[in-house]
Amino acid sequence: MTQHLSERDVRGIAEYTRIGLTDAEVAQMTVDLNAIIDSLKPITEYDLAGVEPTFHPIGGLSNVMREDVEEPGFSQAVALENAPKRQDGSFLVPSILGEGGDR
Amino acid sequence: MAAATERAFACMGVRDVRSGLAAGAFSAREIAEASLARVRALDGATHAFLETTEQLALAQAAKIDAAVAAGTLDACGPLAGVPVAFKDNMNLTGTHTTCSSQMLANYVSPYTATCVARTIDAGGIPLGKLNMDEFAFGSSTETSAFGPSRNPWDLSRVPGGSSGGSASAVGAGLATIALGSDTGGSIRQPGSFCGVVAVKPSYGVVSRFGVVAFGSSLDQVGPFARSVEDAAFALNAIAGRDALDCTSQAVGIDFAANLAEGVRGMRIGIVPAFMEARGLTAEVKAKVEEAADHLRALGADIVEVELPNAQAAMSAYYVLGPCEAFSNLARFDSVRYGYCDPGHADLGSQYEASRAKGFGPETRRRIMLGSYLLSAGVYDTYYYPAQQVRTLITQDYERAFQRVDCILAPVSPRTAFRFGEVSDPTDMYLSDMFTISINIAGNGGMSLPAGLGADTGLPVGVQLVSPQFKDENMLRVAAALETAYGPAPVAPAFREGGTLEASPANIPDAADAVPGVDLPGLLSAEGAPSEVPAKRVPHEPDSPAGCPCEPGLSERPGSAEGVAAQVERAGE
Repeated sequence: MTQHLSERDVRGIAEYTRIGLTDAEVAQMTVDLNAIIDSLKPITEYDLAGVEPTFHPIGGLSNVMREDVEEPGFSQAVALENAPKRQDGSFLVPSILGEGGDR
Repeated sequence: MAAATERAFACMGVRDVRSGLAAGAFSAREIAEASLARVRALDGATHAFLETTEQLALAQAAKIDAAVAAGTLDACGPLAGVPVAFKDNMNLTGTHTTCSSQMLANYVSPYTATCVARTIDAGGIPLGKLNMDEFAFGSSTETSAFGPSRNPWDLSRVPGGSSGGSASAVGAGLATIALGSDTGGSIRQPGSFCGVVAVKPSYGVVSRFGVVAFGSSLDQVGPFARSVEDAAFALNAIAGRDALDCTSQAVGIDFAANLAEGVRGMRIGIVPAFMEARGLTAEVKAKVEEAADHLRALGADIVEVELPNAQAAMSAYYVLGPCEAFSNLARFDSVRYGYCDPGHADLGSQYEASRAKGFGPETRRRIMLGSYLLSAGVYDTYYYPAQQVRTLITQDYERAFQRVDCILAPVSPRTAFRFGEVSDPTDMYLSDMFTISINIAGNGGMSLPAGLGADTGLPVGVQLVSPQFKDENMLRVAAALETAYGPAPVAPAFREGGTLEASPANIPDAADAVPGVDLPGLLSAEGAPSEVPAKRVPHEPDSPAGCPCEPGLSERPGSAEGVAAQVERAGE
């Protein structure tokens, strides 16, 4: 099996996708992803010169717009109903830069 | 406890429900009450339901009974009084919509999906929400964070997936109609495993508004039923343009209109490469050949067609699906909704902990795979070629459909497997080898029950494939085949008078989930650290596998102990 990704690569992907994995999980994920990527090999072996890509199954569809009229949407209260943490009618998040937060 | 003694309305078809209501043989309230009682009595065995919607069901029944009393039943929709249920990735205001994920264990829908609204507007009596693979990533429901559903034909086997709860509920006669979603086979494969009619319409026939997105260029919603006509009635209710999903198309066709026309003169394609595919079991192959013989006897021309690029569909799908999922699942940020891990000093570590604990292993795999495949340099190796392959596959189908009206194929290479039997992710992906190319091209595809396999004695579905927006073709062929096979039966143990010994289910009711009022632990005090979701199976952040569903899996298969454990946990 080809080693497409090292554990270091997988750690980088985990960081980018904001999924905090333990060392053991990184090791297992590295094995799993390498196996899956290996199974995708056929896609790299096709002669696709000159073939246009199809990004969507309905060819003629582009920039579908609705009429520009005001319609009711979520109220602030409804939009906040599922928020894990909120304060003063807003979503509450810990510090984005540096120390602090809501410990 | 023995099977419910009350009348099994959910074992009836749409026409029987309607004629019974019209004749005054029973009321919609009786249907609602008996159907909910049946779910509570029997779903301990199937675990198809994650939540019931008793208040909604009774309110809907009252409306229909009022219409009957006023002599206006004819003005009610085509599904009046029919027990229906919805895959748990479909929003319905006031219900949990969990996608079978800890990430959304306490999420309460503030709005309703169009397909759900249309089913209810058509008169369906909503019984509840149905189990699935987490975020629809899987082919067995084994990735559900709330434990797998079971196949009503054999409780030691999976119902298929990802819409396994939908197939299990209809196969067990716990609902007459269920809705599911299909990204690579997630309606058709469980339909085949549970012996029910399962329709994935052409991409664009049904609005996905309010259905949690997986692969947006592939996802489509469709019905499960026990007859082709019932599936067509359901499709009539949900199909058509919706301003809230820009891909949905005006359909303007009655899917039930041509079911009785038969197949005389129709040309139906068989794909030799599918029939010779490695991994296709003899009993499934025999059923497809038998179906071809039936269609020939009914007057159809069976024609061989080639789909030379179809073998590339699998790898194209496992590029496109994860890439789109990676993008769609970026929305789970622990801030606006979803699981939020408590006690973090900075937002970055809150994101990482919340997404690590909220997502199960398969979901994490697909997100990370998608991220990798879309990264600079890698994009040109996999993603772009996969979209070029989509062009080739689409052209294959277009060429084939110049010669035939419909294609007959296997659905799944095999019948339902046992829990834990397929553990390697890449092996699990092979479940979809015959269904995936249809999503990639955007055609319609459906599974029609063709009786039981000669070797395993389990249900086998055959797949019928339509040209895009010609879904009536496959429904017409399916209706003709149904004259040979008969309507799909309720699984034996669940038939009226059946002798199933199952612990009663203790399923949460949506009435527990009033939006914005009391989501235990999540919305308690402003600014207080949120608790781990505890609505269903408690999260176990320290479990060695990191996934609450895995530890119990090996011991679960159908055993009385497994069922009991399930019920106990659901009741906590």
